[in-house]
Amino acid sequence: MSAPALEVQDIVKRFSHGAETVTAVDRVSFSVAPGEVLAIIGPSGCGKSTLFNVIGGLIDGYDGRVLVEGETVAGPHAAIGMVFQDESTFPWRTVEDNVAFPLEIAGVAREERLRRAREYVSLVGLAGFERHHPAQLSGGMRQRVAIARTLASRPKILLMDEPFAALDEQTRFLLGDKVLQIQQQLKQTTLLVTHNIAEAVQLADRVLVMTYRPGRVKRIAKIALPRPRSSAVASGAEFGRYVAEIWSDLRDEASRGMQDDESHLKAG
Amino acid sequence: MSESRASAFTPIAAGLATVAGVLALVEAMIHAGWINRFVVPLPSAVLASFGRVIAEENVLWRTLYTGMEALAAGVMAALVGGAIGALLTRRRVLRLATETWVAAIAAAPIVLIYPLFLVVFGRNASTIVMIGFVAGLPPVILKTVEGLSGTRRVLIDVGRSFKLTTVQEFWKIRFPAALPTIFVGFRLGIMFALINIVGVEYLINFGGLGQLVNELAERYDLPAMYAAIFFVVLVSVVFFLVTERVERWLASR
Amino acid sequence: MSAGARVRGAPVARVRIAIVAVALIAWEALAASGLLLHDVVPSLGKIAAALWKLVSTAPLYQNLGWTAYEIGVSLVIGGVAGVLFGLALGGNRFLSRAFEPYLHYLGPTPKIIFFPIMIMWFGVGGGSKIAMGSLSCFFPVALSTAVGMRQIEPVLVRVGKSFRASFAQMLVKIYLPAIRPAMLTGLRLGLGVAVIGVLLAETKLSNRGLGYLVIQRYTNFDMPGMYAILIVVFLLAIVANALLSRLGGSSSTTTV
Repeated sequence: MSAPALEVQDIVKRFSHGAETVTAVDRVSFSVAPGEVLAIIGPSGCGKSTLFNVIGGLIDGYDGRVLVEGETVAGPHAAIGMVFQDESTFPWRTVEDNVAFPLEIAGVAREERLRRAREYVSLVGLAGFERHHPAQLSGGMRQRVAIARTLASRPKILLMDEPFAALDEQTRFLLGDKVLQIQQQLKQTTLLVTHNIAEAVQLADRVLVMTYRPGRVKRIAKIALPRPRSSAVASGAEFGRYVAEIWSDLRDEASRGMQDDESHLKAG
Repeated sequence: MSESRASAFTPIAAGLATVAGVLALVEAMIHAGWINRFVVPLPSAVLASFGRVIAEENVLWRTLYTGMEALAAGVMAALVGGAIGALLTRRRVLRLATETWVAAIAAAPIVLIYPLFLVVFGRNASTIVMIGFVAGLPPVILKTVEGLSGTRRVLIDVGRSFKLTTVQEFWKIRFPAALPTIFVGFRLGIMFALINIVGVEYLINFGGLGQLVNELAERYDLPAMYAAIFFVVLVSVVFFLVTERVERWLASR
Repeated sequence: MSAGARVRGAPVARVRIAIVAVALIAWEALAASGLLLHDVVPSLGKIAAALWKLVSTAPLYQNLGWTAYEIGVSLVIGGVAGVLFGLALGGNRFLSRAFEPYLHYLGPTPKIIFFPIMIMWFGVGGGSKIAMGSLSCFFPVALSTAVGMRQIEPVLVRVGKSFRASFAQMLVKIYLPAIRPAMLTGLRLGLGVAVIGVLLAETKLSNRGLGYLVIQRYTNFDMPGMYAILIVVFLLAIVANALLSRLGGSSSTTTV
């Protein structure tokens, strides 16, 4: 039983808006083993994006600790790589310059960083597009560039916040396949935040279900689907069973979320 | 949205405090002799001369005079520019042919033409109003064309389905829909007119507010000159503020 | 209304030629008629002669050099100051709320009335013209840069932070490239007002520069000469603006 790659201990994060204080995350704890894929799923408003930002070191002012290979996280950590939900490629840079960005920041020499960048550009299946600009690519391709960019920094832990949210269903499946492939090849420890159950089951070894606000760990489900995996696994009976299980966990939380929204709309 | 009143006011207060602080610093430096008081007058002297300037130099009358010039130029620019804009909307060929020209004129230093106008119209209000007119014309034309030709297709179709004549279509559909954009053009036009009018008044030493600045500069009455410049800026700012508010009000309707 | 689809190239060119021809003919008629004071509308021949004389002798180029130098330096001073202020105002909400209104409302004011102050502070030579140009150019650059800063996609900043870029790296690798279109827009506007500021200052008090040439023609009542210099100045201004907009256009990433 090797040491966990990532440990999240008793995270509590509150936000105050004037007089009101909202608890976004309430004593969330879990750990991620090296090479594992953990999906965090929950309804909108469950604090998963907050958790994403806490682990990535972009938010402070919380209780609890985040440990990466034993070291406490205080601000963005070298061992953690983040992939964001929004369009995040730099429109003024070419694909290869985008992917080389973290290496540039780290001071790697030009030839070396372009060489490494091109490796990752190939890895995500965009070989031949190195000199293109993001505006010339489709949304799915741009997300692949963003993923390649983060991978190029060789993070111990890959942190992704709904990376496929802006894409259509089919692209999502294909990109999910790609990510699976890469993750299996690199044995990349991955933490995936998503609201899409099928995506979570397809990609993850374990799925952590969160409650609606205040966000707590409701259950951690083990996904015992075989590895290596591809999107073909979605056609199996096992897959459907996992999805149904997780949905039954989620349903109450999701409907609580909806009722909350409606009451706010009525009041506001 | 629960930002308290106090914290919204703090930046504004900080800004005002900085300005006051800089003025106080300048005052101190002049008293200490680090700054020559015949190059930079004491801020307190400038403040003191305000009353004198307003009383002795007919500032109110001058403001009215400049204002009238700007109004005349603005109205001319609106009428002529509006007509040209309407014409260009109607005749697509004309518009394609001249649109880049109008944009080019807007980018050129048109006010440099004032010595020419001096010769043609003489050293009087006509020159000044004409400069204002010429400066204000391009934005009115451009915005009028933009507004009228940008009418949503579906609205035009509604008009055609009611068999409106071209004139009716113009007054009942295109024009009302274009009004916000046209007003932006008018506002830009009158602002450019005012700015250039005040500038030319200073340059040719004739007219209202601009001329006051020139006269006080030639008289070497430093505090009064600074006060006059400040006053001109104030008028311009107020004018800009008012037209901005009107535009916002129109846009929100 | 399908005529709109057919209207391209040739008809547009014909209309342009027609407009120019009509204008020239009307001009010549007015000049020959003697309706206005003789020299106010000189014949096209006289203007052409003056134009030739202007373009083929040295004084134009010497004065053009001075004016170009003054405008250039104005752009540098006003531009750099404008970008620095714009970065600070756009990057910090407090600073923006405290000071940006001043820029916003002071922007559309006639800067030339500050000229007497500039003369006192910087002398009667090029210094006061450069000061005039810099003052004029500062405002549009600062305001455009501030707006550009606020329009940066927040996620791009988060990307930089997640890769632990230093402040300098954030500035050079993320902020500046992201606001480049806004800065260029500001610079184009700044060029326009800097040109005006410098030329007007030259007409008021100078013994060199293009503005000086205009006033000199006026003082000597050399009307054909005045038209000639005005034509040259406007052509130069239009070309300069076109060049700058080319720069702005080609620097943006092309879309499919």
